Amino acid sequence: MLKRMTRLVSGAQQLDPGRFWHGEPQAPQSLAAHLDNQVPDESPRATSCTSEADPVRTFNEACLMVRKPALELLRYLKNTNFAHPAVRYVLYGETGTGKTLSLCHVIHFCAKQDWLILHIPDAHLWVKNCRGLLQSAYNKQRFDQPVEASSWLKNFKTANERFLSQIKVQEKYVWNKRESTEKGRPLGEVVEQGLTRVKNATDAVGVVLKELKSQSGSGAFRLLVAVDGVNALWGRTTLKREDKSPMAPEELALVRGMRKMVSNDWHGGAIVLTLSQTGSLFKPRKAYLPQELLGKEGFDALDPFIPILVSNYSPEEFESCIQYYLENSWLQHEKAQTEEGKKELLFLSNANPGQLERLCAYL
Amino acid sequence: MAAPAVKVARGWSVLALNLRSAVPRFPGLTQVRWSRYGPEYRDPQIDKEYYRKALAELTEEEKYEQELRKTQLIKAAPAAKTSSVFEDPVISKFTNMMMKGGNKVLARSLMTQTLEAVKRKQFEKYRAASAEEQATIERNPYTIFHQALKNCEPVIGLVPILRGGHFYQVPVPLPDRRRRFLAMKWMITECREKKHRRMLMPEKLSHELLEAFHNQGPVIKKKHDMHKMAEANRALAHYRWW
Repeated sequence: MLKRMTRLVSGAQQLDPGRFWHGEPQAPQSLAAHLDNQVPDESPRATSCTSEADPVRTFNEACLMVRKPALELLRYLKNTNFAHPAVRYVLYGETGTGKTLSLCHVIHFCAKQDWLILHIPDAHLWVKNCRGLLQSAYNKQRFDQPVEASSWLKNFKTANERFLSQIKVQEKYVWNKRESTEKGRPLGEVVEQGLTRVKNATDAVGVVLKELKSQSGSGAFRLLVAVDGVNALWGRTTLKREDKSPMAPEELALVRGMRKMVSNDWHGGAIVLTLSQTGSLFKPRKAYLPQELLGKEGFDALDPFIPILVSNYSPEEFESCIQYYLENSWLQHEKAQTEEGKKELLFLSNANPGQLERLCAYL
Repeated sequence: MAAPAVKVARGWSVLALNLRSAVPRFPGLTQVRWSRYGPEYRDPQIDKEYYRKALAELTEEEKYEQELRKTQLIKAAPAAKTSSVFEDPVISKFTNMMMKGGNKVLARSLMTQTLEAVKRKQFEKYRAASAEEQATIERNPYTIFHQALKNCEPVIGLVPILRGGHFYQVPVPLPDRRRRFLAMKWMITECREKKHRRMLMPEKLSHELLEAFHNQGPVIKKKHDMHKMAEANRALAHYRWW
């Protein structure tokens, strides 16, 4: 019976507009969670796919409901043994049940514990609607995505500022005739290189991933790999080569790097993944199970993982969600406050969090 | 208005099944816009409370009504009319007027997005305002919608009347339903025509509703223009015979 509504309130003065995710025009809206009376966290504003357009602008605060799947995950994370290989946790469930927000909660927790957060807000954005595809200079068969890579690097930088100077690169990387990063330089330089020279952004991302993976076992920091919509890495893409033939995700350098990151051959951290049908390509609308969304290839690649089901609201959770809306005066319709109105909302939304939010938006 | 409520057409009359109505028939005239239901069909009772009353609480008349309904023929309820507590006839009528080509799904989603947009704008204003101003800011999109449409209703209208071979615009008091119709029609036309090509309907409509709520904006101006024209044609008021 651990379902409580913990109000993680942030005062307006603690929120720094610079902490917003910037650069991704399609980025899902941000959600920050601050614990009461504590220091404003350095964590990134973890992103969510909900339709609530910036709750901070509407409510002057941003709140998460503490629910069972997130609590379960937090318990597992607290008891992780960092000497063992990284455990993969997969959050799955039907659309709108709260997988992404549970991921946000976990990311916030780990950020508060000073882990290094490697967060991909939506892996589907890497496999569809990419404008500038370049052939990779590093490997002729692969393709680079400068726009996506540079926006990810920007977010990574804001999220993990303090680690960028601590972690040192263990090899020399030559970018072009004039620029190179020597061995022992801080990782921040690689990120800067990727941001300034956009053509090398994808390679910079690859370098960052490789360095983090090799150094996570050293014990200097704990690494959390959080990917939303991980089924994009093993599905199909809608990207085409110049001769209009379809591209497989293996040919994208970013996807290859991420696949290596998500495999469990490193230790010193954890991997939390979310499946998502909403942005996925060529998958039926009702599919939500790991086998259906990942396909054979993806399932085999992720194989020993801990599945965590995220389901619709229980009656108490529904009640507390409605109470939250009423306290913030979000439900303005006079009938919404009555018992009849609440029963009707329960019926119309079937206790699905996403559907309830869309209903309450216009009531 | 003295004109009959039902349009009639000349021509042969089709004596199909159930072709009866309460309108007096004229020889050689057929109804064009009719209901397929005969006069003995009663309207459906949608209200949930009507059926929840215990048998003991009913008065004699209501008992008689209920018994009668068991034997009488009842029309089918339209698909858009529900027994939901959130249903609003004004919103339904407005949604129907916004609908194009029978695309009720789109019209309804535009309506809900408009209400959401109005709500969000008001919440932003509320957040930015001081404590005294917060008491005056109205955040309920439904009250804003109703008040805005009420503010847009003209009191007096113009009707073309034929006298001596010319049509004169005669000022005439409008019935309630005509006023509501005109308010909604003006609002929708304004939002459809006077917006930028890339601006979406909910955004424009929410903006216009908020302006009308504060008695400003182009729709209110149109209402005032109508009033001024009626005032200008005051001399022709004698041409009205009803």
